[in-house]
Amino acid sequence: MAHRRPRSALCPIVDRDRASSADCPRSYVMSLILRAHIASAAHNIMPGWPIQSFIAVNPLAGHEPISFHSVTERNVALTREHRAYLADLREGRITEADLEQAISERIPELARATISVIGQEVAAVRIAVLDMTSVQGSPTRTAAPVPASRSMLWLDEYLAAWLPSYVTLDPLWPMPHKQKGLFGAWRWLANQDTSLPRAVRRALRDVSVSADAALAWALERLAVTPELIRSTLAQELEHLPGWVGYIKWRAEKYGDIDLTSYLAIRFVLRALLTIPLTPSPIPPLADERALLWQRAEHLTARLSEHPARQDVAAVARVLAHHRPDEHRFTWQKAYELNYRSSLLPSLSSTTPPMKARPQLQVVMCIDPRSEGMRRHLEASEAVETFGFAGFFGVPVRFARYGARGSIDSLPALLTPRHSLTERPALPLQAEEHLARGRARDAVRQAAHIADTSTGTPFAFAETTGWFYGATSFLRTFTPTLYQRLRRALARPDPLHGSVTMGEAFTLEERAGIAETAVRMMGLSDFAPLVVLAGHFSESVNNLYQSALDCGACGGNPGTANARAATAIFNDSAVRAMLLLRGIDIPDGTVFVAADHNTTRDTITVLDRHLIPDSHRSLISDFEGLQRAAGKKLLYERAADLPGATKRQSVPRLRARADDWAEVYPELGLAGNAAMIIGPRTLTRGVDLSRRVFLHSYDTALDRDGTALETIMTAPLVVAQWINHQYYFSALNPDTLGAGTKTIHNAVGTIGVLAGHGGDLRRGLPWQSVGLGTKLFHEPMRLTVIIQAPLDRVGDIISRNQALRHLLDNDWITLTARAHTHAPWHRYTSYGWQTTTAPMKGQST
Amino acid sequence: MNNMTLMTRLEVVVPARDAPDIRELITTSGATGYTSVSGVSGIGHHGQHSGALLFNEYDTLTMIITVLPPDKASELIDAIRELLSTSSGVMFVADTYVSRPEYFQ
Repeated sequence: MAHRRPRSALCPIVDRDRASSADCPRSYVMSLILRAHIASAAHNIMPGWPIQSFIAVNPLAGHEPISFHSVTERNVALTREHRAYLADLREGRITEADLEQAISERIPELARATISVIGQEVAAVRIAVLDMTSVQGSPTRTAAPVPASRSMLWLDEYLAAWLPSYVTLDPLWPMPHKQKGLFGAWRWLANQDTSLPRAVRRALRDVSVSADAALAWALERLAVTPELIRSTLAQELEHLPGWVGYIKWRAEKYGDIDLTSYLAIRFVLRALLTIPLTPSPIPPLADERALLWQRAEHLTARLSEHPARQDVAAVARVLAHHRPDEHRFTWQKAYELNYRSSLLPSLSSTTPPMKARPQLQVVMCIDPRSEGMRRHLEASEAVETFGFAGFFGVPVRFARYGARGSIDSLPALLTPRHSLTERPALPLQAEEHLARGRARDAVRQAAHIADTSTGTPFAFAETTGWFYGATSFLRTFTPTLYQRLRRALARPDPLHGSVTMGEAFTLEERAGIAETAVRMMGLSDFAPLVVLAGHFSESVNNLYQSALDCGACGGNPGTANARAATAIFNDSAVRAMLLLRGIDIPDGTVFVAADHNTTRDTITVLDRHLIPDSHRSLISDFEGLQRAAGKKLLYERAADLPGATKRQSVPRLRARADDWAEVYPELGLAGNAAMIIGPRTLTRGVDLSRRVFLHSYDTALDRDGTALETIMTAPLVVAQWINHQYYFSALNPDTLGAGTKTIHNAVGTIGVLAGHGGDLRRGLPWQSVGLGTKLFHEPMRLTVIIQAPLDRVGDIISRNQALRHLLDNDWITLTARAHTHAPWHRYTSYGWQTTTAPMKGQST
Repeated sequence: MNNMTLMTRLEVVVPARDAPDIRELITTSGATGYTSVSGVSGIGHHGQHSGALLFNEYDTLTMIITVLPPDKASELIDAIRELLSTSSGVMFVADTYVSRPEYFQ
């Protein structure tokens, strides 16, 4: 593209046939500078992954290099409202001790300070707490949003109508001239668009065909001075943030669209329609000194009827450290401290490791939903469970046998480099499998064509309407029966086969994967049966299905990864190499892959044909255990699931997965609040209420700290992304969340719209975080707890900027202890500090 | 110098998440290619940076190297400089010599 660009001294990017050099002054001739401005303006915008494989991201991740409380983003709340925290204080969800601790942590200067008021020594934190509980709401730093003008609303709607036409994959009617790129195609077609005034269409013909040149021309026409270009572009990118995020993702992934084209359309229309640029909102100024004195007077009056001026001054000196607009962050910290002060004492310091060799080891994803299943499985003392990222350390692109597409089953932090598929064990079955698949596709394709072609829908509806009517009836009133019938008709028998590990990874790589996994999760003393259980969610009519699948697998089921990891661990050549590295997996140990269905709470053993007869009875034992554990977990979850009760039968509760009217098939990771990295002895027997990411780790198996660094830089980061996605979706359901899913319409596999148009929705739907008008997800930033030597943890943080940003800027918190009997320490920017917060259930 | 041709070499070290923007500028500038090295380590203005991380390519540093004729380099240097003025990263510019200049035109 760049090679064809004219090398004009004045206007190197402009198509000379379309624009004169006079339209392109020196300030804009440097197209690369303009592109740099665009990249800079879009720097803090997170790419928006398509909903097909929903990736949980911190929508404000671009701001992680700055303090959490310094973030200013249009129409975004960072905390709840003041009155919500006051209600928590009344209900005991936050205590005054939590507030004092929060103030001490946020403002170390006040931690031990005292002041003399009315002849008494009073702790500064007490004064600050009194101030917080008496101030009627904390003003926000951000100015009230400027209402969008009618012309701006029109522009947003106009773009929101054009973008789906361009980006939809495999549309029924492809957009003409798509090969010209977004701007080129739009410019060509807009000439025929009667929604634009004739004069605008005429003027459009004189605009350059190059998006870069057209954008430069429009900026000049709108009199944007060079020093304001970046901020102007950034302001424009705040409109339609969902589409902008998706374009950013797509530009990096496919490169068939970019923000330059998008912005070029917006600014060209602004220039031609003379839509003025939106002025930046100016934060209101307040006389902070007067307010401070007023607060101090008010507070001192609560302490004494006749306060002296020096008393007010002393109080004011304390309050000056804690401005009202900081209060909400202190409230939020107290809210989180309250949870942490319950969690830490519940963690065992005395539980001994298992005495006898376990008969069964189950490795499950770190996902909080696994915590419940692990807890119930461990009702049997012969069972030991481990937590590990659900892709089991095998990052792959996976395609089922004979499938047309593939999935990237790996964390979003990685790029797929290895491709896996299936090798059928029985050629005849494979042929039959393929034939049935093709026949099914043909029927679907025929129905689709008949349904969508211009002339056939009426005839199609006339002839098949009775059938669809009957299926709709079944689907509505007997969803379980309908799904059973559908599965029986549509799904072929499970294909007997294995994943093609040997073709995707060398022996050395396979041994490396196995060693890494063992050292990361501290897996030792191998049981005769080791189950690697990936997880997936099952629901119908749910556009956010992938948001309930495995986050460590890129919003996909972890099935393929569990099967691949199992193949590695059962490989005798791999075991021989592991033995040389000090890891001895006994010959009698067999690994099996399994699937944890998080909607039904069942675990299904996979690839049964690969399991030796010697282990059949152990498999039966495991299946009995999982059935019992699944039922217990199902009833435990029923207490929280909207519309479910403990009186309902197991089939009724599990039928939620089949019901196309069910908007709460499960609650996903709602409630997630903490991550614990350490041996299971820390948490075994503790009910963590499915709120904690659990990653197993044993210092003894990680001599150089490599495994811990991998955990802290990958699973921890993924957990933090998920945590912040829930956090911001809960606080901002209309801007960073997707709103209610009951009015969602899909745009292909790209995303959803609320209603028939508008912006692409971001984040999680309201049904993931709330019910009615109330939140059931408690928005808390991730509390990370690690059991490992503190200097090791500190070294890892110091050499990883991403961790430094998260911890030093208060996006997450970290508490650690070296070993079981050591005291807990809190990570601060100044080093480790012994936790001094009053623990619930302990005397202070 | 031994019939070698003078070129300009740019080395840019940025967080991996910002690397696509740099690569886009390089390709838009008319450079015929670049080399991208992921997971580079070191110590700089923002402290220490670990090298390649096993399961995280997103939070590592990437070094992108490109060579192009001096007359093409100027605009690219200005653009990258502009981009780095608002985000973290460093750029090194140096003269270099190549034996097959047609590869870089």
